[in-house]
Amino acid sequence: MAFVLRKIGLFLLTLWAAVTLNFLLPRMMPGSPTDAAIAKLAQNGPVTDATRKAIEAQLGVPDGNIFEQYLGYLHQVITLDFGVSYTFYPQSVSEMIWQAFPYTVILVGFVTIIAFVLGTLIGVLTAWKRNTWLDALPTLTGSFASTFPYFWTALLLLFFAGYVFHLFPTSGAFGPTASPAMTWEFFVDVLYHAALPALTILITSLGGWIIGMRNAMINTLGDDYVTFAEANGLKGRTVAIRYAARNAILPNLTGFGLALGGVVGGSVLVEQVFGYPGIGYLLFNAVIGQDYPLMQALFLMITVSVLIANFLVDIMYGVLDPRTRR
Amino acid sequence: MTTTQNVTKSTEKAMRPPRRLAFITRLAATLWANWKSRLGLIILACFIFVAIFAPLLAPYGASQDGFERNADASAAHWFGTTAAGEDVLSQLIYGSQISVSVGFIAGLLSTIVAIVIGLSWGYIRGFGADVINFIVNLFLVIPGLPLMIVIAAYLQNGGLVMIVAVIVITGWAWGARVLRAQTQTLRSRDFVTAARFSGEPAWRIVFKEILPNMTSIIAGGFFGAATSAILAEAGLEFLGLGDSSIVSWGTILYWAQNSNALLTGQWILLFAPGLCIALLALSLTLINFGVDAISNPRLREGKSR
Amino acid sequence: MNHILEVKDLSVVYESNGFTALQAVDHVSFVLEAGEFVGLVGESGSGKSTLGFAITRLQKPPARTNGGQILFRGKDIRELDVESLRQQRQGGFAMVLQSGMNALNPVRTIRNHFIDIFRAHGHVEKSRWDARQIELIEKVGLSKEALARFPGELSGGMRQRVSIALALSLEPQLMVFDEPTTALDVLVQQAIMTTIKSLQKSEGFTAVLISHDLGVVLESTQRVLVMHEGRIVEDASSAEILQNPQDEYTRMLLSHYADPRAEVVELPGFTERASRDGAGAGKASGTTAAGTTASREGRSADSAIVVDQVSMVYPPPRRGESAITAVDDVSFTLEPGESLALVGASGSGKSTIAKLITGIEKPTSGTVKFGSLDVARLGRGQIRELHRNVQMIFQDPYSALNPLHTVEYTLTRPVVNFGGLRGPQARRRVLELLETVGLAPVEQFAAKLPHQLSGGQRQRVVIARALASNPQVLIADEPVSMLDVSLRAGVLALLEELREQWGVSMLYITHDLLSARLVTENIMVLNGGRVVERGNTAQVLQHPEDDYTIRLLDAVPNPARAWGAAV
Repeated sequence: MAFVLRKIGLFLLTLWAAVTLNFLLPRMMPGSPTDAAIAKLAQNGPVTDATRKAIEAQLGVPDGNIFEQYLGYLHQVITLDFGVSYTFYPQSVSEMIWQAFPYTVILVGFVTIIAFVLGTLIGVLTAWKRNTWLDALPTLTGSFASTFPYFWTALLLLFFAGYVFHLFPTSGAFGPTASPAMTWEFFVDVLYHAALPALTILITSLGGWIIGMRNAMINTLGDDYVTFAEANGLKGRTVAIRYAARNAILPNLTGFGLALGGVVGGSVLVEQVFGYPGIGYLLFNAVIGQDYPLMQALFLMITVSVLIANFLVDIMYGVLDPRTRR
Repeated sequence: MTTTQNVTKSTEKAMRPPRRLAFITRLAATLWANWKSRLGLIILACFIFVAIFAPLLAPYGASQDGFERNADASAAHWFGTTAAGEDVLSQLIYGSQISVSVGFIAGLLSTIVAIVIGLSWGYIRGFGADVINFIVNLFLVIPGLPLMIVIAAYLQNGGLVMIVAVIVITGWAWGARVLRAQTQTLRSRDFVTAARFSGEPAWRIVFKEILPNMTSIIAGGFFGAATSAILAEAGLEFLGLGDSSIVSWGTILYWAQNSNALLTGQWILLFAPGLCIALLALSLTLINFGVDAISNPRLREGKSR
Repeated sequence: MNHILEVKDLSVVYESNGFTALQAVDHVSFVLEAGEFVGLVGESGSGKSTLGFAITRLQKPPARTNGGQILFRGKDIRELDVESLRQQRQGGFAMVLQSGMNALNPVRTIRNHFIDIFRAHGHVEKSRWDARQIELIEKVGLSKEALARFPGELSGGMRQRVSIALALSLEPQLMVFDEPTTALDVLVQQAIMTTIKSLQKSEGFTAVLISHDLGVVLESTQRVLVMHEGRIVEDASSAEILQNPQDEYTRMLLSHYADPRAEVVELPGFTERASRDGAGAGKASGTTAAGTTASREGRSADSAIVVDQVSMVYPPPRRGESAITAVDDVSFTLEPGESLALVGASGSGKSTIAKLITGIEKPTSGTVKFGSLDVARLGRGQIRELHRNVQMIFQDPYSALNPLHTVEYTLTRPVVNFGGLRGPQARRRVLELLETVGLAPVEQFAAKLPHQLSGGQRQRVVIARALASNPQVLIADEPVSMLDVSLRAGVLALLEELREQWGVSMLYITHDLLSARLVTENIMVLNGGRVVERGNTAQVLQHPEDDYTIRLLDAVPNPARAWGAAV
């Protein structure tokens, strides 16, 4: 499978570039965040020399030449040891990320897949029923909703469904009385708390997938194999799904991979509004608290996750398109 | 089918002979003919009008405070006042200036970067093209907003210039990709080879032969970039990562959330700025429906199948 | 009478927003008898394809039928609802599209295409699916291995065969073939037409062949409908059309066919070169050369193009495939003032040779020389010098002109770049050039944009641009193959006239042997990148020695030959 090997090679190269970018980013910035960081850390107690060294290494304060720093950084990344958080001292950064990670993966990952599948199906429908109300209604509402700023949708839902009508909880990932355990009650409680953030992401991202699929499918509907399938008297549904939609899904899938970064970005805002303890909320707190090690590690995690998702999309594309398989 | 193409060609022949720059006039006319983009143009024109004449339209100054705090809507303050005692309506009107200008400037700059990179990427071949390909793909998959947040955090309250810079750095890749594809298509057309045979230098081929044939795609890229710039600016301001002393729709929401407008029930403080952002972004999206139809004839309005 | 299809007063209009409506088919009436093979001929824009789509009810917006009846076995199919229309496609009317290579779903295997049709109509029992597929695919001359393939794994000709097999699987009474061979290579075209003809005989369906090529149609069909500007101008048996065409338009079309093997070849506005050159043997004859020198005074000795043992190998398109040898050890000399034809089917390497001569690509081995210039080793500035003397005429007049520039702009650029003229002088030169290529009134044409010109006019602008630098050599890459038949002779005559007057040498690249016969003195036949035959054009075409040359000659549509025997 030359195709898969090539994709894996490209993925590793991109991964390396993203890690390196993350290393260079603080070093390209004017001013020194180290002093601010150490001042911040000093509030929690005396700073040992070892800690100072660790921070300096992390933030790019010259300790050895840039290559040694780079190697040290790569070592940190590989061992997933990102040092100590300032704001939540003495918790380690990795520990905090692992606590927040599942919430975001489940929330964003799950909702995004649902939104994509739903949006694609509606997109197929709108293109097939072009210029009827079944087209106009989803297209217009979808494109209107997709222009909503994520945080605004979040605020409105929070205000009406949370504060005015008390339908859903207003913050957190689970209720104050619930205890995290693998029980049915806890599971339902988590779903209940995730409902509003999930709905926000769904509302704001759905439109994009609808329009994307609609445009792709309108293109394939004009292709000759669709005309020929009609000339051969295939049933409407076969033509729509096996011919037009089946081919339109390919460009739409590429679009999905590339738009994923946007959804993940939007979810940062959503988590902040709902006080949902995921990666995005943590990133926000790290930024406000000038917790540079945490921030840097979080950005790396987000980037790597999106890269992995894109890699999976690429592989799926290969599976769906026989032309890439040769 | 060829017949269809021929028919379009001959019907175009029946239209008035276009002159120089006619493709821009034709672009505008085609956009106006499409009801979606017409609606978008009207909404956009309203916002631009409000932004330009904000000092004349706003009842009070942008940061003029000293009114009753957290007041509900009244005759004196149609949309009420903020927690700092400022007039919400005036802030909304002045806020349009920030969004419109950030959208325009950041959109324009991203588009310029996209054009420069996209065109050279599409024109060169070999290793250089592979390198650019890799960099563009990297910028495409790196999530924009988190990157902006991180850069903004390092730069510490850089204000609007910082926000525009960050938006441009993270926002050019998509346009570059689209323009590159189009450049490659056009590059393989005979008229580009013919220009070389006419002794034209490379820069002239790029700017006189290729670029003018991408007007609609560049316009589409500009409106798209402006839309995401407006949303990103509002997002950063809302997180308090911009200059929170200026009056923009993003900062209104930032202060509203900080002063617990959710709890005090001042829904208009949350609703109005967001709606303005959404409407401005919508106007650009609607215009792009028309632009898409120019670039891709299959998307043109027509009777149902 | 056994009418299978009766079209009465049919009209089709194109209506799209912002454009004036266009009546593509205008009150057309005709009748098809069962078992007939009928041709529908017309040039581009005549409405023939639109009519084909209308009678099979496949037209899409902006096309709309706005009058008349289409009676298929006595029933008006315009009145059928979607579902009965769909059912009617089995055992009713089928269509094979022009772009048959794109008519297959790229993500479904050929087998699945058949199964989709069997499922949709249920006319083949499930137990017979396999057998029926194999039977059909073998009928169109493919092996059953093709069934397991994806369309992308088959060649264009094979894909067109598959779409014919798919249409056949519907067991139609009427088959419409819309330009079924247009996008294919000459030799493949001929093979597929042979398959269609024999299928029509063995299966007994009624067939309509839509084509722009009266030659192809006359060779295959019994009756021909000639279409012009949305109307059927002539409806007669093929023999009658050939011997006694009634309509002026048909006569005009017919006059553009000739046999390249004939002793004397004549087209309207064109005197045949063999007779004019007298003996016609050898290189550029004395008279031509003399005229040449006279008209090119003030220029130093003209240079020849010398191609010496040139090979061109392209890297493999995909990993694991072998490299492609496009040109294989080719040597020839294009003498000053000579006109040389480079002939071959697509993939024979003829266009690659053009790229090598013009410096667009560098040969893998061997040398190309223009005078003292070594073309393969030119820097940027020298390439420009080369282009001053070696100019190109492109195949597709629709793609060779920038749609946004006026004719004047397009012609001014080489005048400025190579002639060093500015302002009014440059303009005067541009108008001269337009005059030369016969685009008068020159002022009006100078101001036009490409879409306001017809294909023939565009090609004249392309020729004018090539002449602007006063070149010594013209490379003409299939300059007339995209033009309507009726326009070809005019452009060819212009090329020939310019060549004589200006004394330029010309490398004429084509697959069309008739045009090669008309405008060249010498010929080289290429097959798979190698030269298989060369010599004087008239002699080679009249007495071909190589097999491949003979096959190319046989593939030239020749109505007179086909019917000469029968009548």
